[in-house]
Amino acid sequence: MMNCEQLVDKFDDLMDGSLDAADMKALSTHTEGCERCQQMVSRETALRNLLQEYGDSNVPTPTATYFDEALVTAARTGRKQQQNRSWLKGFGSALAAGLAIWFFSGAFVQAPVGPGTDSGIPVITMAVEEARTVNLVFSSAVALDNATLTVNLPQGIEIAGFAGQQEITWQTSLSVGKNLLPLQLIATMPTDATLLATLKHGEDDRTFRLRVDVS
Amino acid sequence: MDPKDHQPLDGFDQLLRPHMERLYRLAWRLCGNKSEAEDLFQDVLTKIYVRLDDLADISEPATWLCRVMYNHFVDDRRKYSRQRMVIVSEAALPEQSVESLAGSDSPSDNAERADRLLRLGDALAQLSDEHHEVIQFHDIEGYKLKEIQEITGDPVGTVKSRLHRARARLREILANDGTFF
Repeated sequence: MMNCEQLVDKFDDLMDGSLDAADMKALSTHTEGCERCQQMVSRETALRNLLQEYGDSNVPTPTATYFDEALVTAARTGRKQQQNRSWLKGFGSALAAGLAIWFFSGAFVQAPVGPGTDSGIPVITMAVEEARTVNLVFSSAVALDNATLTVNLPQGIEIAGFAGQQEITWQTSLSVGKNLLPLQLIATMPTDATLLATLKHGEDDRTFRLRVDVS
Repeated sequence: MDPKDHQPLDGFDQLLRPHMERLYRLAWRLCGNKSEAEDLFQDVLTKIYVRLDDLADISEPATWLCRVMYNHFVDDRRKYSRQRMVIVSEAALPEQSVESLAGSDSPSDNAERADRLLRLGDALAQLSDEHHEVIQFHDIEGYKLKEIQEITGDPVGTVKSRLHRARARLREILANDGTFF
């Protein structure tokens, strides 16, 4: 025969219905004859019911279109992330291969990388809606691991496949010598502004500037 | 909306749709407010989209999805800084007022029940994060111990003893304010 103390010990299991049949029967028998334990079970039952009611009450119901829109947004953002990965992976391979991908065409500008060097500001001219590949070449005197490259685009300029993104950042490594970054720029509206490509390694950073004149 | 928003969702919709409501509820439980819950929900849907191939191979996607959300929440807890729901207010329940929650009882019963819900919300807000979380999972959302283990990564025994302590603490708080016990 169980007593009140044993019931307290097994109270959660009793209320969760996880006791074996023998314990369940013994506790039920005890409870039938114990007003104190009956009250305890009754209060706990009320609390469990209230918790469930609370759970049903305080989560708002999203609007009918919310889930649809959330799925579309997730797919759109997810695709963009996949494109980023694919593009960055390609660039990483290009860097690893050094000059092996020296197939570029279009504008060609060069960004010296090394202590005490400064880049000039080359200019390219584009027409609205024109797409043009600009090859940035980073010449490095030493190999750089875990460098961070950030491209900041001015309003009116986009990179193909990254509509609406004004800043793209990734981790990369540079080999000794020339490292190529081909960017396919698209002019979306007239502008005369500067594109920034910043390479950061440890505490050092170098910024490459390209003035883009879209008329 | 951009025309490319209407591109086929590549089975994403079909795989996710049955679990959306549960995931949304979990986001709400973890964050405690609509704005952060919807950010978390959206971030996790995007994360899942990128891992769609994984989802197609999962035998129990419901639990897997919850685990992805829980891990994302834990990893990014600073971003989803928790703002506990302290009370259940009528203003927060535009489609399901406290009155309607009270069902068909008399007005005085309704008022008493609504008051208990308010006090319960207040008591839950006083629990520690881990106690609050385990009560939310088990006693409010009805997750089984095994499911909580799979979502949080904590052993069943740990979850069970945490739940036991959380309930004891909750009873103590409710007893002190005269709601129960």
